[in-house]
Amino acid sequence: MKNYDLLDKRDTVNELLARYGVKFGIYKNGTFKEQLFPFDAIPRVITKEEFDYLERGLKQRVKALNLFLLDIYNDKKIVRDRVVPEEFIYASSGYLVPCEGVVPPKEVFSHVSGIDLVLGKDGEWYILEDNLRVPSGASYPMIARELCRRSSPRTFHDNPIEDNRNYADLLKHAMDYVNVGGLSVVLTPGRYNAAYFEHAFLAERMGVPLVGYNDLQVDGDYLYFKGYAGRRERVGAVYRRISDEYMDPMTFNPESVIGVPHIFDVYRKGNVALLNTPGNGIGDDKGIYYFVPRMIKYYLGEEPILHNAPTYLPFYQEDMQYVLEHFDTLVLKDVAEAGGYGVVFGSKMTAQQKADFIALLKAEPRRFIAQEAIDFCDIPIQEGNEIVERKADLRAFVLTSEEPVVWKSGLTRFSRNPDSFIVNSSQGGGFKDTWVLSQS
Amino acid sequence: MEVLSFHYHLNIRFDSPIHDHQFTLRCCPVSDGRQRILQEQRFVFPRESLGESRDSFGNLCIYGYVTRPHSSFEADICGEAVTGLAEAVPAGNPYQENLFLYQTDLTSPSDEMADFCRAIPFPVGERPLAQAQRIMEAVYRHMTYTQHVTDVNTPAAKAFELGQGVCQDYAHIMISLLRLRGIKARYVVGMLMGEGLSHAWVEAEDNGLWYALDPTNLQMVTDQHIKISHGRDYQDCRINQGLFYGAAHQQQEISVIVQRK
Repeated sequence: MKNYDLLDKRDTVNELLARYGVKFGIYKNGTFKEQLFPFDAIPRVITKEEFDYLERGLKQRVKALNLFLLDIYNDKKIVRDRVVPEEFIYASSGYLVPCEGVVPPKEVFSHVSGIDLVLGKDGEWYILEDNLRVPSGASYPMIARELCRRSSPRTFHDNPIEDNRNYADLLKHAMDYVNVGGLSVVLTPGRYNAAYFEHAFLAERMGVPLVGYNDLQVDGDYLYFKGYAGRRERVGAVYRRISDEYMDPMTFNPESVIGVPHIFDVYRKGNVALLNTPGNGIGDDKGIYYFVPRMIKYYLGEEPILHNAPTYLPFYQEDMQYVLEHFDTLVLKDVAEAGGYGVVFGSKMTAQQKADFIALLKAEPRRFIAQEAIDFCDIPIQEGNEIVERKADLRAFVLTSEEPVVWKSGLTRFSRNPDSFIVNSSQGGGFKDTWVLSQS
Repeated sequence: MEVLSFHYHLNIRFDSPIHDHQFTLRCCPVSDGRQRILQEQRFVFPRESLGESRDSFGNLCIYGYVTRPHSSFEADICGEAVTGLAEAVPAGNPYQENLFLYQTDLTSPSDEMADFCRAIPFPVGERPLAQAQRIMEAVYRHMTYTQHVTDVNTPAAKAFELGQGVCQDYAHIMISLLRLRGIKARYVVGMLMGEGLSHAWVEAEDNGLWYALDPTNLQMVTDQHIKISHGRDYQDCRINQGLFYGAAHQQQEISVIVQRK
């Protein structure tokens, strides 16, 4: 790989990122703090062959997840055929009753899917989790690539790297594909959201209005954008970066003051497309994750191309047995938590913590999954003038319109702490550009 | 079978003007196997926008907003219904309706309720409807109808412990016990012959049919009842939801009149 001076430009790129306001907000002890998302200039490189394989597997997975969501909110054949136990649907917080019986425009549920993978030391890729609600992160490699390109143009001239500048076009196309008539807009909860930079950036790149709850209004059967001059225009698609529960206080959390009242009524009537579709939380539920390989066989009649990390469901008696016997080698995850929270390592607990946890596990087996701690590949990062190895994962973005399309890039996140496996940006990690090579 | 006329009246007074008021009202009865709505008129005042939708249970919602300041909000729904057309209404896709087997925050049973349920002498193999009637009777005996000791957010377990409450509490407790027995149960809001407030009762599923039971009055639902909505619990059937700007206390008044045509 011809790298030229890209690595020497790390500080330049980070300075530019700061100047452009590429920040990540976190809430700590109840106060909002914005912090820079540290960028590491050594790219993660994925060969053409490897990407082709990932692409096939990711398309297959997202296709099956879309079919699952359609089925779960309508006929429930997968429950009738006993592939997924009913408890995992009705007792999950991701399942939203108000979404029952809705078929969204063009039957697309997960327009933007962020699938998290890791590369194991055995050379295999494993799916860590699916994010089908409001996955964030695509803007970071987009802007980092742009700034790297500006700082070190030769690198991109002389290396066969897939251009990743098409993300906004793919996203805009996904919106236009489901738009039922009128404007397409990006709805943001506002500048105190962790990913506000991304909302603004994507709206600008797509050339669509960035709106807040105050700019939208439901009148009768339709949703309108209230223009600055007082003129109203109908809205046909909303890429909403606000979670389901805050989206509409009249249907979901009544305390929400950042939602658009009655937007869900208009959506149920089929008069606006929401990206992603409300209720998708049942598809990326950590308990449901276990069933995704079965879903692929069930809906597509295919063998899964990409594998889950080996996972156990204490809900099943034999899995509970295994979990109790191998407690120290497993990672336990609370299915209701996200963002790296609610994850515990059996090996790192004190005897008392372990006893308490096992009691909880036995009382609420459905609440947890257990996974083998995958020994995943370290990748090089620059630390001062040194190059050190750290844990990293990859969030791949799959945009669904007529067919799922895998964006030829992705967000590589790494842990800066040498002992940590948790790479979530909300836990203080950094990120890298992800290069997909266009030639063997 | 009866032909009934109904009048549902809602009046909310605010002690200082409020604005940008958004509302959803779930107070319009709809036709099903048991009742047919012959005609209906709606008056909502003030209003600047009015729409109509169905929620995921098929309940009719009317919604809209009033941006300008106002100190009172009124809704009147008047019409005629033929009731008592059938004893029960057909159930839908069982895999969808299995939802009604799961407890909610409002119906979640306490240990005492589980013990209470175990103490009911159900004969082996008794059909769900007969079990539901036994549960209804047990709940009726356990409870004393008392107003103002519970409110709309009181969970079944709390009302059971008090042994007192209103129709909502009777219904939640009965639903909780039915679900403990593995019988699908749903909460119903409706209107009852005479003058008064809105009423709540229960539907229980037996062999593909939903039967309606009124635990507050210890009776099967008859042609004296007009159903408005159903859901897993009260939360799904809230008659009036509002969101507004302003620092005001509100006073809500509901009156329902149902009489023979």
